[in-house]
Amino acid sequence: MSFLYPAFLLGGLAIALPIVLHLLRRDVAPEVPFTAVRLLHKSPIERAHRRRLRELILLAARIAALLLLAAAFARPYVQGAAPPPVRVIAVDRSYSMGAPGVFDRALDLARSAITDAGPGEQVAVIAFDDRAEVVSAPGRGADARASLVGLRPGFGATRYPAVFQQAVDLAAGAPGRLVLVTDLQRAGWDVDSATALPSNWTLEIRDALGSGHAAQNVAVTAAGVDGDRIVAAIENGGPTPRTGRVRAIVDGKETAATDYTVGAGATAEVTIPWRAPASGALSIVVDDPDGLPGDNARFIALGSASRGTSLVITGSDGSAGSAGKPAAFYFSRAVATVDGGGVDVLPASRVASMSAEDLANRREVALLSTRGLERAARERLMAFVKAGGGLFMAAGPDLEVPIIVEMTGWQPPIVAHEQTGPLTLAATDLRHPVFQPFGALSANLGQARFDRAWRVTEDGWSVVARFSNGTPALLERTMERGRVVLFASDVDRRWNDLPLHPAFVPFVLETLRYVSGVRAMHDYVVAQAPAEAAHTPGVYRGTDGRPFAVNVDIRESALVTMTAADFERQIQRSSAGTVQAAVRQARQTEGHQSYWQYGLVLMIATLVAESVAGRA
Amino acid sequence: MPSAPSARELRFLDPAVIARLGTMELKARTVVEGFLSGLHQSPYRGFSVEFAEYRQYLPGDDLSTLDWKVFARSDRHYVKQFQEETNLECHLLIDVSASMAYRGASPMSKLEYGSVLAGSLAFLMNRQRDAAGLMAFDERIGVRLPASARRGHLHSLLIALERLEPGRRSDVPRPLQQLAEALVRRSLVVLISDLLDDPEPIIKGLRHLKSRGNDVIVFQLLDPHELTFPFDGSSRFKDVESADEVTAEPATVRTAYLQALEALTARYDRELRGADIDYRLLDTSKPLDFALLGYLAARARRK
Repeated sequence: MSFLYPAFLLGGLAIALPIVLHLLRRDVAPEVPFTAVRLLHKSPIERAHRRRLRELILLAARIAALLLLAAAFARPYVQGAAPPPVRVIAVDRSYSMGAPGVFDRALDLARSAITDAGPGEQVAVIAFDDRAEVVSAPGRGADARASLVGLRPGFGATRYPAVFQQAVDLAAGAPGRLVLVTDLQRAGWDVDSATALPSNWTLEIRDALGSGHAAQNVAVTAAGVDGDRIVAAIENGGPTPRTGRVRAIVDGKETAATDYTVGAGATAEVTIPWRAPASGALSIVVDDPDGLPGDNARFIALGSASRGTSLVITGSDGSAGSAGKPAAFYFSRAVATVDGGGVDVLPASRVASMSAEDLANRREVALLSTRGLERAARERLMAFVKAGGGLFMAAGPDLEVPIIVEMTGWQPPIVAHEQTGPLTLAATDLRHPVFQPFGALSANLGQARFDRAWRVTEDGWSVVARFSNGTPALLERTMERGRVVLFASDVDRRWNDLPLHPAFVPFVLETLRYVSGVRAMHDYVVAQAPAEAAHTPGVYRGTDGRPFAVNVDIRESALVTMTAADFERQIQRSSAGTVQAAVRQARQTEGHQSYWQYGLVLMIATLVAESVAGRA
Repeated sequence: MPSAPSARELRFLDPAVIARLGTMELKARTVVEGFLSGLHQSPYRGFSVEFAEYRQYLPGDDLSTLDWKVFARSDRHYVKQFQEETNLECHLLIDVSASMAYRGASPMSKLEYGSVLAGSLAFLMNRQRDAAGLMAFDERIGVRLPASARRGHLHSLLIALERLEPGRRSDVPRPLQQLAEALVRRSLVVLISDLLDDPEPIIKGLRHLKSRGNDVIVFQLLDPHELTFPFDGSSRFKDVESADEVTAEPATVRTAYLQALEALTARYDRELRGADIDYRLLDTSKPLDFALLGYLAARARRK
C-alpha cells in the first residue's frame, strides 16, 4: 500500500484529540465510596465496565474515522507489477516534413523502428508537430505499423517538448525507448527551451532527411493589403537564387499575379498592383515544387482589418472640454496614437444615427458622456458589447449613473457617488494586462492628482486599480462575450491632471487594448487557430460571423537543421524525470483504484456506528 | 415490657454524644446507665438464691429485692444481691468488614456504633452476671473471646471492642457456622452486621443456630446514607469491599435503590421473624436504646 500524498497522513495525528478528550472526560463523575453497590445493580443503570466498553468503542470509532479521513486524503493505492517496457515511435508530421520524399523516408524509418522492437516490448506511435497526438497506444507492433498508413504531413510547426511529455505519459511509469523520426529542425526548439527525459528512458534519433538531401524552399512569409496594392514577402531558403510568379487568389480565383526574383537565403518584398475587394478570402501563392508545400500560400481575411477605428462618445455638439479644448481632446489624441488605428469622436446625440454595421466594426467604444444618448443608441451599444465588443467608460460630469443602470441592466446595478480628493492612483495587480507593460514604471501613475472621482461599489466588478483612499479607480467586468472597463475619474483633465502626465497615453492605450482584446485577433497561426479552423491554413468565419485567416508558422520554413548530438544536448537526463514519471504513474494507478472513495465511505459508516453507539 | 427512656435521658444514648466519650468502657457504661435510668422498672433481677451482698437501691431496681428490714433499721434503701449462677451465655458476633467502616451522615461509623452496642450489651450482661463472649469477623474470624461473667473479662472484652479495625470482605455465614458447631449449651447469640451481602446463606446460618436451641438477635446496622441514598450529581459508586463500580445519576436510581433495600430488609424481617429470630434494623444516627430494648425483650423472653 502506497500513498499519493503521504503528507496528509500527518492529519492522523488528530487522533490525539479524541484520545485527550477521552482521558479528560473519563473521570468527570467523581468517585463515591459506597457499601450497597450490589443493590444499585438492580436499578436500571449503566454499569461502569459497560460504560467503559462503550467509551472505548466510541473512542475507537472516532480514531478510526480520523485515520480513514487522513488516509483518504493521502490517496492510497496498491502498486501493481512492473509494467513492460514501451517503445514509442514519434513521427514528425510538421509541414517541413512535406518536402518531396522526406515523409516517405520517415515512414520507412518508423516501420523499421517497429521491427526492431524486442520481445515483450510494447510499441506506441505518436505523430507530432506543435502538438503530440497518439495514433497508436502501447500494444502490438502490427497495430503500430497499421497506424502509420494514414499519417500525412500537416501544417503545424515542429515543437519537440510536447513529444517527450506525451511519450513518458504513454509509458505510465514503465521504462521506455523513444525513437524520434524527424528532420531535426532547429526551429523545433525555442531559444531557451529544454525538456527532460527520465533516466530509465533511452533516446534514439532517426534523421528523416538523410545525408543527400538538398534544402530548397520558397515561402510566402508575409502578405498584406496596402490600399490599391498587395505586398508580399517571399523568402528563399535554398542555396541558389529563385525566380517565379506570385499570384493573388480571391475566393479560389486568380485575380492578379506578378513575377519575383529572390536571392539565395534572402527575402524579397513583392508588390502586386491590384486593389483587393472589401471582403473575401485572399491568398498569395507561389509555386515551389521542390520545397515545402505548406508555406507556399499566405491567407488574408479581407474585411477583418476594417475594424481599426475607435469610437469616442462625448457630450452634445459644441460642448467644450477643459481649458477651451474640444471635448475628449486629450483622450482622443491618446487613442489616435494606436498603430494603424483611427479614432472617431462622436457626440452622444448622434450615436443613434450610426448604422449597426458601422458600430459593429469599431475596435472599441469609449463612452465619456451619456447626455443625449438615445434609447436606440444605448441598445445598440449594449448589443455591440454582448457580441464581443469592448466598452470603456470614464466617469465625469457628462456620465450619468442612472442612464448606465438603465442601459446595462446589471444586477446588482452600479452604485456610484462623487467624492473629492486629493487622491492618487495605484495599481492593485501589476500583472494585469493594463499595468503589466508599465512594470516598475506603473508607480508614475501615482504622480497624477485627482480632485474628484466616483466612489463605486465593488459588487459585480473586479478592481484593477484603486485610489489612495482605497476606493476602486479602475474596474472591469464581462458582459456576455464583451468586456467593460470603468475608470472612476475623468480622462479629459476636468477632474484630475492625469492627461498632463507622461503615463497618460500608455495608460489609455493599454486600457483600450485590453478592452478591445476580446475581438482584436483576426490572424492566427495553425497552432493557435480556433477550433473551427481545423488546423488547416485558410480563411474562416468565426462564430460571431467575423472572418479570420489561419496561416502556417513561418518559423517552420527555415530549413536549418541540427545534428543528433546537438539535439540530445537539449534533453536533460535526470532522475527528476523518472520521479515525475513515477508520480504520474502513481496518479494514474490511484485514479483507477480510487481507494480513497472506499475510505470515505468507511469513515461515514464509522461515524454512523459511532453515532449509534453514542446514543445506546 | 420496659418503656423507652425520656428525652432527657436520651442524650446519653445519642451517638453524637457517645462518639465523643473516651474509652469503650465509659461509652458502654454511659449507654447502659443512661438507658437504665430511664426505665420505670428494672428489667432484670438476680436468679441465684445464695445471698451475696447489699447494694444501695437504684431507681428501677425491683422493689421485691428491697430489704425492708435494713430500711427499718437504717432508714436507707438497700437491695439484696445474691451470689448468682450464670444461667445465660451470650455471644456477641460483630461484623468488622470494610463496609462496616462506612460513615455517611452519622457521627459514628457502623463499626463504631456496633462496637458501642456490643460493649453496652456486654456491660449490661455483666451487671446481670450473664456470661458474654465476643467474635469479630470479616471473611475470617479475627477476635474471639469465650463467654465469661467475670468482671475482668468484661474489661478485656471492652478493650477488644475498642481495638477493632475494619477488615476486608464480610462472610457472615462462616462465624455462624463455626459458632453453631462450637456451642454446647443453649446460648443467646447477638449478630451485629450491616447484612448487605447475599441474604440467603445468612438467613440459613441464623436458622441453623436457632435450630440448635439458641436464641438469636440480629441487629442490622445501616448508615442514613444507605437508608436514604441522598446523593446528587452523576457519580461513580465504588464498592468499598470489591472492585465493583457503578456510574449513575442518583436522582434516576434512588427509587429503585430504596426499593431494593426495602426488599432486602423486608426479607430479613419476614424470614427471621418466621424462624423466631429477633431482627432489628438500626439507623446509626439514632440512639442505642432501641437496640438495648430489643436485647432485654429477648432476654425476658428467655426467662
